[in-house]
Amino acid sequence: MSLDQKGLKKRSVTVAYFFENIGTTHDIKLRRLNSVDEQKRRIFERDLHRPGLALSGFTNLFTYKRVQILGNTETRFLNHLGEEERRQAFDNLVRFKVPCIILTSNNKLQPDLLEMATEQGIPVFVTRHSSTKAIYQVTDFLDDQFSLYQQYHGSMVDVYGVGVLLIGKSGLGKSEIALDLVERGHGLVADDVVVIRRKGESMQLSASRNNIIDHFMEIRGLGVVDVKANFGIRAIRDVKEVLVVAELLEWNKEMEYERLGLDTKSTKVLGVDVPLVQLPIFPGKNITVIIEVVALNVLLKRYSNYVAAEALTDRIKQVIKNDERTEGEIVL
Amino acid sequence: MIVHEVIVKNRAGLHTRPAAAVVKLASRFKSDFFIEMQGVEINAKSIIGVMSLAAPKGTKLTLKLTGEDADEAARQLIEFFEQGFGEQ
Repeated sequence: MSLDQKGLKKRSVTVAYFFENIGTTHDIKLRRLNSVDEQKRRIFERDLHRPGLALSGFTNLFTYKRVQILGNTETRFLNHLGEEERRQAFDNLVRFKVPCIILTSNNKLQPDLLEMATEQGIPVFVTRHSSTKAIYQVTDFLDDQFSLYQQYHGSMVDVYGVGVLLIGKSGLGKSEIALDLVERGHGLVADDVVVIRRKGESMQLSASRNNIIDHFMEIRGLGVVDVKANFGIRAIRDVKEVLVVAELLEWNKEMEYERLGLDTKSTKVLGVDVPLVQLPIFPGKNITVIIEVVALNVLLKRYSNYVAAEALTDRIKQVIKNDERTEGEIVL
Repeated sequence: MIVHEVIVKNRAGLHTRPAAAVVKLASRFKSDFFIEMQGVEINAKSIIGVMSLAAPKGTKLTLKLTGEDADEAARQLIEFFEQGFGEQ
């Protein structure tokens, strides 16, 4: 199935975008200290840098492409220098093409130094947050921006709180199953086009919808259906973690399907292993209920480490071990 | 697999009706049909998928077809794209 597409990644964000958007999703307020063209500066990576060594003159391996954080230490270091030395030290920073400089803990930059940054076209911001907190927030924002993402063909439904990704060929009835699940009180995340993101090194996959399509779906023979308008706010979800993939397969006599559930399959999505359940479908088979059971199994496994097939295996083993039957007798 | 690049030619772009028409045409064939736009690939037998591209005029799209009737499918689909979906 087509879950093997390579993940995509934003290559960079402009400092202008960074400045305008970080406040909307993250608890940090930045204030501009100079006016330069922020469209021209780009951030290429999530990591930040505190340029202590660069300021002191050691610019080997200086990671100047990162957002530069000036906290209490760096500011005090600059302030304890004489005017000429100070400018020299700061030149070690601004002669590189750094994306932007953020002063934390409301630290101040001497006017002559600020002017040097402005001359080089480097945006300078200040925040009242401490360095630790600012670094956490900025890194988290950039992690979001540079997360791996891809768009997949399938349906994403929240079933009993479990994110289930339905995949399978066009025309097998994924949308109909999603609609049926919604009707039974579950929540639709996305239909037909599912956007999945993996943030940083995390093993979590967040699924959401394509913003153009929103919560619209296509039902063959009916046309376009707006799930939010038809079923209300309770029927939709914004983001949901992918916990299991259910693949619908056309019934095929030649193929062997799982009969026990002892050997679990998995599939890779953006480099993360996700449990995979393959379901053959044929007319008259109620896939909706099966999807509900798939979700309940995920919950059972998660919260009680219970797998029905293992429990049954244990029972049978127990009976065989304690066998006191006379030959040929059957246990009723 | 047949891979072919096309450009959206009609003024209104690949909106609802052309998207439906593309899918309708593609569904006549057995072959799998995907469209790639800026690294994102969608299943082009899904109307929602094609509409999610919201490709304006001038967009470069890569059509990908695999299957027994891919040659004929590609011929007709490419022609349909070249004609701007029969729109201005």
